[in-house]
Amino acid sequence: MDTHAALYEQGKARLEMLRSLEPRHAHSLQTKMEEHGVTRRDFMKWSAAVTAMLALPLPFSTLVAEAAELADRAPLIWLHMAECTGCSESLVRADTPNLDSLIFDHISLEYHETLMAAAGWQAEENLEHALETYKGNYLLAVEGAIPTANNGSFLTVGCKGHTGLEIIKHAAEGAAAIISVGTCASFGGVQAAAPNPTGAKGVDQIVNKTVVNLGGCPPSEKNIVGTLMYFIMFGKLPALDMFNRPKWAYGARVHDNCERRGRFDAGEFVEEFGDTGAKEGYCLYKVGCKGPYTYNNCPTERFNHHTSWPVLAGHGCMGCSEPNFWDDMADFEKPLGRQLLHGLDATADTVGAVILGATAVGIGAHAVASVFANSKED
Amino acid sequence: MDTHNVPYERAFIFSAAIRIFHWLRALSILVLVITGFYIAWPFLVAPSNSDVLVQGWVRFAHLIFGFALCAITLVRAYLFFFGKSDIERRSFKDVTSVNSWIVQLKSYLWMGHLDKKGVYGPLQFVTYLAISVIAALICITGLVLYANVYHLGLGGMLGGFAAWVTGIMGGLAPVRIWHHYFTWVFIIFVVIHVYMAVWTGIRFKHNSVDSIVSGYDYHPKKH
Repeated sequence: MDTHAALYEQGKARLEMLRSLEPRHAHSLQTKMEEHGVTRRDFMKWSAAVTAMLALPLPFSTLVAEAAELADRAPLIWLHMAECTGCSESLVRADTPNLDSLIFDHISLEYHETLMAAAGWQAEENLEHALETYKGNYLLAVEGAIPTANNGSFLTVGCKGHTGLEIIKHAAEGAAAIISVGTCASFGGVQAAAPNPTGAKGVDQIVNKTVVNLGGCPPSEKNIVGTLMYFIMFGKLPALDMFNRPKWAYGARVHDNCERRGRFDAGEFVEEFGDTGAKEGYCLYKVGCKGPYTYNNCPTERFNHHTSWPVLAGHGCMGCSEPNFWDDMADFEKPLGRQLLHGLDATADTVGAVILGATAVGIGAHAVASVFANSKED
Repeated sequence: MDTHNVPYERAFIFSAAIRIFHWLRALSILVLVITGFYIAWPFLVAPSNSDVLVQGWVRFAHLIFGFALCAITLVRAYLFFFGKSDIERRSFKDVTSVNSWIVQLKSYLWMGHLDKKGVYGPLQFVTYLAISVIAALICITGLVLYANVYHLGLGGMLGGFAAWVTGIMGGLAPVRIWHHYFTWVFIIFVVIHVYMAVWTGIRFKHNSVDSIVSGYDYHPKKH
């Protein structure tokens, strides 16, 4: 466990450095928790859960707890591009503030268009001030895709009319790390679906730095806070998969840990919504579940305080955390093999059968002609 | 038609290895197409007892024959390049000759002989090459999908490679859908292939269907 020991030391050194910095809030996390009726015991349970989620051994839970308390020393700038704010909503609109939303509140959030009080010129000034003051140290979180067509003029933000493209390039320069929150910031999302008139792209296609992609529409609050905690704790990015998504969250497919997986292996499928199989909780593959092609931890982490997730609610996964999912995963209520091919309005099997039929006709014609055309050579 | 006084001769064209792998490949393709379509759209009704893993067994068969196809594709490529007889390799000379292309296409339209340097005509050679490439691609996409259902042993060893291919192809969904498209190439190929094999035997009395069973090509002596 040498690598874990080294990582632990790295975390300790990082937290020591953060502790020496000025806290941004007058109230410590502890007083905030007391105000919200969150006990110390709840907090330790949360720390242990986050440690397990990040695939770290249990001793790291003290680091997680410490990192949560020191979260107000790490400046975070959160930018909104072409998006719906659903990712922020996923995090902050819980019915009761839980530890995830509390810690997000505790993090030194320098700029967040939905949550800040400032508006207009004042907001613009806050952003410029934060980008300058914390240059090289701030964590940049981006929500939403970046329109690039017509030099980015499809999206302008703020009183100065800067394009999203300009803002992202400028903000990325001074960022210690960049996190794309949600499928739009990661891969373009619905804005980038064909024919993509605004030329919307993910952040990692705009900037030259490594960007952590938190796919999902929205990603769960656990995946957002977990990634923030990892960065606060170690000052670096977690291990990433082929699409730069953290492996601890996107290392397995939805299908792998699905509670209906046994139904799949047994061949028990919902044939249509509302049938007996649906009531029995059968597998949703035949009504379009894209869990087999989607890397995410929805079955284990779920959404809204671990309440539920799409498959538990009775609809198949639609693959929202995958690149290009609007085009690749459509139709959402049919399996991929029965996908309508764009422009042909037919499935691959229909096209295949038509070609097969044409082949048979061709062969038939050739065979008949052979009978008449001096059939055998001598 | 009077053939009893036409002298026939026989030539040994397909080695035992080529014949065995041809039929193993045919069997694999048959099983893979059937089980593959089942996996794409599971049409059997669920058994009364969920201990019977219908989907599990169909996938098991698909995996076993999938590995067989991978092995055959590799061995067949080896045999093409390093097999003792050069009867297959010789055909490459026809591929590079424009005249051979014209001769073959004309012969398919009932004009003239089908004279070849090796055992295959140029169009036939290119078709087989394409089907071999598609076989390699369907094996690769299949192995990528396999690496996601079994993470130990071979699946674990292929993990890094699978992630790399998945990244290039833009996700697991495109990997799966291309796997599905490639299936149709095999189906259409098999129909044309069987027809052409039968037709060639009748028309040219050469390389008829039984040669891939016995290895011998019985044909009238040239005069």
